[in-house]
Amino acid sequence: MTKILFAAVLFALTASLGACTHVAPYERGKLAHPTMTDAIGDGPAAEHVYAVHEGAVGGGSVAESGCGCN
Amino acid sequence: MRGLVWALVATTFVAQAALAEDENPADQSVARKDRGEQLGAERTAHTETRLDDSSEKRASLETAVYADSDNVTVFTPSLAASITNVLQGASLRGQYVVDVVSAASADVVSTASPRWTEVRHAGSLEATYKPRTFGITLAGSLSSEPDYFSFGVGTEMTLDLNEKNTTLEAGFGFGHDDVGRCGAESSAAATPNNCTSFGVFSRVVNRTSFNLGITQILGKATTGVLVADIGLESGDQSKPYRYVPMFSSDVAASAPNGASFAWVTANRLPERPLEQTPLSKRRVAVTGRLAHRFEGSTLRLEERVYGDTWALFASTTDARWIIDLGKRVALWPHARFHGQSAVSFWKRAYVSGAAPGWDLPVFRTGDRELGPLWTVTGGGGLYFYLGGASDPQKARLSVQVDGMYTSFLDDLYISSRSGLISSLTLEVEL
Repeated sequence: MTKILFAAVLFALTASLGACTHVAPYERGKLAHPTMTDAIGDGPAAEHVYAVHEGAVGGGSVAESGCGCN
Repeated sequence: MRGLVWALVATTFVAQAALAEDENPADQSVARKDRGEQLGAERTAHTETRLDDSSEKRASLETAVYADSDNVTVFTPSLAASITNVLQGASLRGQYVVDVVSAASADVVSTASPRWTEVRHAGSLEATYKPRTFGITLAGSLSSEPDYFSFGVGTEMTLDLNEKNTTLEAGFGFGHDDVGRCGAESSAAATPNNCTSFGVFSRVVNRTSFNLGITQILGKATTGVLVADIGLESGDQSKPYRYVPMFSSDVAASAPNGASFAWVTANRLPERPLEQTPLSKRRVAVTGRLAHRFEGSTLRLEERVYGDTWALFASTTDARWIIDLGKRVALWPHARFHGQSAVSFWKRAYVSGAAPGWDLPVFRTGDRELGPLWTVTGGGGLYFYLGGASDPQKARLSVQVDGMYTSFLDDLYISSRSGLISSLTLEVEL
């Protein structure tokens, strides 16, 4: 299972790097739009609800404390 | 002649800057930053003794409510603040969250009493220093409630490559949980809120996590993120309140999905052991995010695949499309789908033998989040930009409402759950 996931990561990584083009800093007006940042999305309450209701974690911060859901 | 050329160039530049301000709020912010830096330089030149404050300060306040058909209600106010020194590349962020949980659910078992209210306090602090292309973040978090205490620390490093077209990140985190128990019979060891002291009873769960990620600019309006997380968990994660009903083999085979409390009570065996899950788990998750800015909207997609050594496999897909409705309002529809398989030791109805040996299954659980299920979430929200005419996004009010429906495919007590989560958030640049 782990090998399959790592293979998927490597494939996606290779595919994404091959597909991208160099974008100069002065061409990044759209990329700098506030809605393009990770700050947009679910708040702490929704994130906690998902963490408790889904048997899967990952993709978040490295220093998360436990869900406190005993 | 040369003066005329310079005048033309300057006029063209000013006109383009003005056009850019009208067209794109992001360009506005870049232009603002340029003007800010210019003004800062002028001030420094004219008043050498006065320091210019180049920091950005933000604060946000959110109030959220979750309620579901399983009699669980959660009220969650939270406060967050950040300060960023753009010129020096240093930032500090903090967050404080309170969860007030009220439940009378057959599903959520959190104290020994049938109806309960509990308050959880959680806080986190994160400091980042990234003067040039290399950055480092140190983070810590705490979570406390009467029967659960947890802390986490972590560090993350980032490296910009290729004129910031590519950013690599690597992180490490450690978390420690003390799982206690409340609502037991009164004893000398009980705390004033009827919880057993952590010194008398607690289970320790340690979690170690590593992540590796890459953020890649895929085009002038598209970014992609790929993150791999590996986690190691050790300790007894069994819920100290959750008792698992046992059945004879012929009754277990006939237990219907969502069998009622009355059916279980009438058909189960006398023994009702506590839940017991394996004492360690390794997990892997791979998350991909894609964001694309169209002319008047932004599409954000996320996909996470997950697998662990308890044989739970899951896929979570999240999509959000933020559509500008003028300069003051943005609207977004939101959809999310989560599907997962059961852990290897999952049974709708566990089988045990007769007393006195009972021959209980080594691992048994009633945690329906470890069983097979799917959840679909749908809803949306609105941004109201409340800043001044020159910078409407300096203050932002957002309202979000999402409905959730979960189908439990192989469970006792309930076979589905409907929920609603709503939030109201105010964010201000100070």
